[in-house]
Amino acid sequence: MRICILVSCLVPALAFAQPAPVAFGDVEVARIAALGPWPPPRAIDPSNRVSGNSDAIKLGEQLFDDRSLSKSGGIACTTCHRPAHAFTDASERAQGLARGDRNTPSVFDLAGLRWFGWDGAQDNLWAQSLRPMLDSREMGADVAHVASRVRNDPALRSTYRKVFGRAPTGDDEAVAVNVAKAIAAYLETLTSPRSAFDDFRDALVRGDKEAMARYPLLAQRGLAIFVGTGRCTTCHSGPRLSSGEFHDVGISYFTEAGRVDPGRFGGIKKLRNSPYNLLGKYNDDAKRRTTVSTRHVVMDHRNYGEFKVPSLRGVSETAPYMHNGSLATLRDVVRHYSNFDVERQHADGERILMPLGLDKYDVEALVAFLETL
Amino acid sequence: MIRVLAATVAAMCGVAHACGNPGDKLANGAHYTIAFKTAPAPIKTSEHFAIDLTVCPLGKAPMPRTVRVDASMPEHRHGMNYKPTIVAKGPGRYRAEGMLFHMSGRWEIAFEVVTGGTTERIATAVELQ
Repeated sequence: MRICILVSCLVPALAFAQPAPVAFGDVEVARIAALGPWPPPRAIDPSNRVSGNSDAIKLGEQLFDDRSLSKSGGIACTTCHRPAHAFTDASERAQGLARGDRNTPSVFDLAGLRWFGWDGAQDNLWAQSLRPMLDSREMGADVAHVASRVRNDPALRSTYRKVFGRAPTGDDEAVAVNVAKAIAAYLETLTSPRSAFDDFRDALVRGDKEAMARYPLLAQRGLAIFVGTGRCTTCHSGPRLSSGEFHDVGISYFTEAGRVDPGRFGGIKKLRNSPYNLLGKYNDDAKRRTTVSTRHVVMDHRNYGEFKVPSLRGVSETAPYMHNGSLATLRDVVRHYSNFDVERQHADGERILMPLGLDKYDVEALVAFLETL
Repeated sequence: MIRVLAATVAAMCGVAHACGNPGDKLANGAHYTIAFKTAPAPIKTSEHFAIDLTVCPLGKAPMPRTVRVDASMPEHRHGMNYKPTIVAKGPGRYRAEGMLFHMSGRWEIAFEVVTGGTTERIATAVELQ
């Protein structure tokens, strides 16, 4: 009897230490293959005439780290998007000239996205690059300030002329948009690092069992949950591990007492009112093929409290998590979905998420998988 | 029995060839058949696509005045995040632009054929891997 009790204690312990190899079926292999290949697709942006221009990329990199673009002279894009920290800031919410409502996302793999920002209020990367400069809580500038910076600095003025074919004009807004387009050209070049998951995914696709065996078994178990019972790929799909769309995942959208973040609902409103959207005069795409999403997007009550599905590439480097940084660790995120409270979703909203009900082992397995991305 | 089955299949194939173009998928309603194909095909998750469709009246049903196209995931209780625009391409022929399925799973495409006084809804399922 005593031996039996001892054995029953040992079995779970051994199982934790040495998980069984995972045999992926055809459906799982197809789902895993769809999470690659790395790097995510990237193409020249027709809405930005300096997209892919090497001089614009250099100018954009310089401007991305230029504190003088802010009203105070103390805040640069890199203040929040720190290159040494996967272009995030390790804070719950962004801190510019004032504290923001949202967590700073990484800026890897932005080229080719449909929507930008947690609420998708921008439909192009140059508008997204301009927005923080003009936001009173972030860099607090205006288009006149941004334009004067490149107009009055001899070196910047010279580079600007080389990139755009003429010196900065007297049109502050047009010059500020060009500054943003140079920054966007730089941001398009930032690609997430190749990961251990990418090595496993490629090995799985070509049937290389020796290479597959180098991927930790616990991560394999987590991957099996991710593409299987967890149904995580329903939203975290494609090489970016994001559909690029928006969902209510049960995270509070109260930013403080009496104030809410409307998420996608407010994002679509801002998009439609923005002079910098793709339907406006600053879109360089003469054929307007870039406008499909903006022309067809619909706003619905259910969009309230929806936020963009973030890419999971490099996710272990970007804590804390969710749109408001309210979950400190990946383990907290996995537990959130494991114990998900369906009552926190809109009564008339979608019904996609159900509590995963994971045990401790599966929580660790999912975390181990996420850490390999 | 086999002969009856073969005759039925032949009749269905006849409808297929009579409406739309070879290779089109068919959605059948009481008074109309919709022949359609997507561009690009197959549909890719989270990428825009268009539907080229032909509406074929059955029997004495009138030609449509217009059509509407929408899609939803009934099991998830949501529709698309985009509303397609309909472009008339000729008698009974239309293009629905701006469609986008943002997740994998079972989608239901709904065609609404609008005539003078009635609207017929014809739905067909699409499984997106």
